[in-house]
Amino acid sequence: MAKQPYLKVESIVKKFGPFTALNGVSLDVYPGEVHALLGDNGAGKSTLIKVLSGVHAPTSGQIHIEGKPVNFRSPRDASNAGIGTVYQDLAVNPLMSVTRNFFMGRELTSGPRPFGLLKMDEMDRITHDEMLKIGIDISDPQQAVGTMSGGQRQTLAIARAIYFGAKVLILDEPTSALGQKQQMEVLKTMMRVRARGDIAIIFITHNEIHSKLVADRFTFLALGQVIGAGTHKELEGEDIRRLMAGGAEIKDLERDLAEL
Amino acid sequence: MSGRSESDRLKQESLLMRLVRRPEAGAFFVMVVVIVLVTIASNGNAINPLGIKNNLAIIAQFGIIATGAALLMIAGEFDLSIGSMIGFAGMSMAMMLKWGLPFGLGEATPASAFFITLAMTLSLGWLIGTIVVRSGLSSFIVTLAFLFGLRGTTEVAFRLINQSTQISGLPDFKQEYFFARIFGGESFGWFYDLWFALGGNLNRRDEQWVTGLDVRVVWWILIVLLAYIVLNRTQMGNWIFATGDNKESARANGVPVNKVKIGLFMFTAFCATIFAACQVFDTNTADAAKGNLKELEAIAIAVVGGTLMTGGFGSVIGVVFGAVTFGLVANAVFYIPWIDGSWYRVFVGVVLLAAVFANERIRKRITGGI
Repeated sequence: MAKQPYLKVESIVKKFGPFTALNGVSLDVYPGEVHALLGDNGAGKSTLIKVLSGVHAPTSGQIHIEGKPVNFRSPRDASNAGIGTVYQDLAVNPLMSVTRNFFMGRELTSGPRPFGLLKMDEMDRITHDEMLKIGIDISDPQQAVGTMSGGQRQTLAIARAIYFGAKVLILDEPTSALGQKQQMEVLKTMMRVRARGDIAIIFITHNEIHSKLVADRFTFLALGQVIGAGTHKELEGEDIRRLMAGGAEIKDLERDLAEL
Repeated sequence: MSGRSESDRLKQESLLMRLVRRPEAGAFFVMVVVIVLVTIASNGNAINPLGIKNNLAIIAQFGIIATGAALLMIAGEFDLSIGSMIGFAGMSMAMMLKWGLPFGLGEATPASAFFITLAMTLSLGWLIGTIVVRSGLSSFIVTLAFLFGLRGTTEVAFRLINQSTQISGLPDFKQEYFFARIFGGESFGWFYDLWFALGGNLNRRDEQWVTGLDVRVVWWILIVLLAYIVLNRTQMGNWIFATGDNKESARANGVPVNKVKIGLFMFTAFCATIFAACQVFDTNTADAAKGNLKELEAIAIAVVGGTLMTGGFGSVIGVVFGAVTFGLVANAVFYIPWIDGSWYRVFVGVVLLAAVFANERIRKRITGGI
């Protein structure tokens, strides 16, 4: 693989007082790939996201972007470096229109901030086009986000992050709160973003089936450490399930259950 | 796949249905009913030349403070200090005009009294906003503290300096100062001149009866226009909606949530100061009790106008309809002799409760809830 990783994470350690949340985590994220980050509750996935998106500074270790070392002091630093995080709650406002959500905090205006007049027509057009690119044809960009399905809201948050310059898209459990059909919509959206070729996706999930469907590369976390990593080819299905469970063998579980 | 997408499930509606479904629709309907009822019950006296002037005087008063209260509520906060701020600002201006500027700086003019007062009230608005956003306490409690504190301060200052909680018999500054006419003078004289020229607007001796509206009507229109444009057409407006809808997501997207809130607390203080200035320069009096309970009327009008108690949604135009409704009913006792004025409060209670239910339905419809 001659490609250079867009984002390279090297031996990140994050301690909260006596508690070690991350103990030397490394991963490489390539443009045009989906990198699944899997692990049980408490494995350190959320902490890793927060380090990558500039919410927490790592205790030690280094993040590289396009080969250059970077230090994020705030979420804004991370965002400027091209890391767009789509959190589980999506950061959308249900009472506001699709367009107003899309440009929230980054409105297009003519005139001095913050009292410049909104260029609503232009923003409507961009919102409609960007949503269409990612697979949703919204008939009315002025409709309230509250009328959209969970999958569409997810898509809105993803389209917004990409439009405002995200090169690495961190999706925090994007399928976990959705129904079956909407989960498929989100997976399709991810594959459309992947097909662009210039954006890397970090896909945090509990769901091994989803990760096998879309991911090119896997990293498994357990108790703050990487317990397995590799490409889709390198890992067999059984491996994935075993690593998902934090290294526990399903056979052991079967035996334990039988003994009860 | 049948080629249907989820967006197809949102039906396109006719223009009429869209208008009926607008958040202002209920307030508009109530306003029309009230205008018709008051007009009939008063034998048309409520809309004769003097009736229009007197009704618009109180409607404009309500409208000025309710617009400020509504913008703040859309951003998710309350201001219960509006009424006390009116009393404080009126006291401050009248006291300077009677006793001179503080620290022995000499005689006050209407302009200096107004601007020094405005500087104080804006600072108080800033202080209230800063306490709310820094402490994370409910604005209900913080502004309730200022409701009591400011009213008490006003009374104490009156008694210390003036020996009485009222000032009356100030010179009529409108005669001499243009600046006093900006707040206490008349406007829309052309409207009444035209009415007279067309054969109406006559008194018993067939002379022109009413010469113009109170100038506060112009202030109301200006504040409404400003609020409408800022809320619906500017970046700041998007920030106000975002702050009230979901503060955390607004912050995550780079909206300066705290500055928005502090700015709006200053805006309600500004509206209260305009209210007080119009009152002081119109009547040349001040009273420590001025503005009592006005904060609750402002909030009630904002709610009747379609503003959600929980923030994130509301309409400046709806607040206009609400102000007209409340002003007409509050004044109805002067035009309908047989009515007991206390029915006004009964009306406020009933309409308020109905509006809260209606707003809740609107909110659920927008958010797709059941």
